[in-house]
Amino acid sequence: MHAIVMGSAVTSPGPDPTADDPGELVRRVAEARDRAALTALFSLFAPRLKAMLLRLGLEGTQAEDLCQEALLTVWRKAHLYSPEKGAVSTWIFTIARNLRIDLLRRQSSRPYVDLEGIEVASDSPLGSTLVEQSQVVARVTQALSALPDEQREVVRLSFIEELAHSEIAERIGIPLGTVKSRMRLAYDRLRPLLEDLH
Amino acid sequence: MTIAFHPDIATLMAFSAGSLEEPYAVVVSTHIAMCEACREQVKRTDLIGGALLAAEPGAALSDGALDRLTAALDAADVAPAPVAPRSDVPAPIARYLPDGIEGIRWRFSGPGVAVADLPSSKAAKGRLMLLKVAAGRKVPEHSHGGQELTLILSGAYRDRFGVFASGDIADHDEDVEHQPIAEPGEDCICLVAVDARLSFRSRIVRTLQPLFGL
Repeated sequence: MHAIVMGSAVTSPGPDPTADDPGELVRRVAEARDRAALTALFSLFAPRLKAMLLRLGLEGTQAEDLCQEALLTVWRKAHLYSPEKGAVSTWIFTIARNLRIDLLRRQSSRPYVDLEGIEVASDSPLGSTLVEQSQVVARVTQALSALPDEQREVVRLSFIEELAHSEIAERIGIPLGTVKSRMRLAYDRLRPLLEDLH
Repeated sequence: MTIAFHPDIATLMAFSAGSLEEPYAVVVSTHIAMCEACREQVKRTDLIGGALLAAEPGAALSDGALDRLTAALDAADVAPAPVAPRSDVPAPIARYLPDGIEGIRWRFSGPGVAVADLPSSKAAKGRLMLLKVAAGRKVPEHSHGGQELTLILSGAYRDRFGVFASGDIADHDEDVEHQPIAEPGEDCICLVAVDARLSFRSRIVRTLQPLFGL
C-alpha cells in the first residue's frame, strides 16, 4: 500500500483556494449549490468508490448506481457536513457504507443511524480543523502502510472487503481470537495518530 | 450518563468497516447514540475507511455517468436537518419499537425472564431481541454461541464483570460464561444480539433454550 493523496494540499490561505480541495468543494456545494463543485467531487471520488464497491463483490451497474446515489447524498447533505467531522473522504466513505448496507438489506431498518442526528449536544474539540484535510488522508494512509503485514491484512479485509471477523479468520486460516487481537494491535498503533486527528 | 462498559475496539472497527451483521450493528448504533466517547471513537475508526477509500486506484466509470448525476440533481431535495426523535428509546431502535418500551409484546421465557424478538432483514445472520429480567432475578447461567452483544437500556444487572447499567454494553465472545442478576428495584431491559446460527448447536442450545425460548 502506498500513499496516494487525493487533491492537492492547500498550503497558503488566500482568496483563491485550490480548486480541488475536497472540503472547499463541499462548502461550495452547500453554500452556492455549485454544480461544478459537485462535478469535481464526482470526478475525485466516484472512480474510487466504484473500485471499492467492485472489490466488495457488487457488479458494475450496481456499483455505479451506488456511486450516483452517494454523490446525490453529498448534494443533498452538503450543508450537514462540517470539516471537524473529518476529511471529506471519510464522510463519503461512511455515506457509501450506509448506502451499501441499505442496498444489501433492502427490507432492513437501517442499522446505521446518521450520526449527525445525535451530535447536537456534542462538545468535542474541533480535531481535524487544525490539520489540512489532505494531510489527514496522507497521514492515516502512511500509518496504515507502516503496520506490520499481518495487522494491515486484517484491517484491509475488514474495511475494503468488508469481511466479518469470522470470515477473515476463515480466509487466512487463523482463529477468530487472533483476528480480533490483530485488529486491537493495529488500533493501538494507529491510536495516537487518530486521536491527534480527531 | 456515565457509561463504564464499551464495545471492544475490534467490534467498533468492524462497525466502522460496515462488516458487522445487522443485529450487532443495531446494538452498536444504539450504544453510540447513548455514548459520546464511542461516537468520537467511531469517527476515528472511520478515518481508516476514508484513507483506504482515498488510496483506491479508481475504476473507469461508464460513459454518461456524470450526465446521469447532473440530470438527477434537479429532482433532489436538500435533506432537512435531522430532528431528535421524540420516542423514549434511542433513535437507532426507535423504528423497531413504534410504540416505545411500553408497547413491547413480551414473551415469557422462564421465571422472571421475558424476551421480544425484533425483526431484522432475512439476509441478516444473527438474532436481535429485547430481554427483560425482573428486578432481583437471575438469568440462567449460559455460554454464548458466537459473539453476544448486550446493551442495557434500563435498570441494571450484575455479573462477575461488574454492574452494567443504562448505556453499558457487554461484548462477550463465545468462550465467556456468566450469570447476570438484575439489580433490585427495577426491571433490567437489554437489547441483545446473538449469533443464531450457532445457538442451535450441541450443548449451547441446551443452555440457551431456557433463556431465549428457542
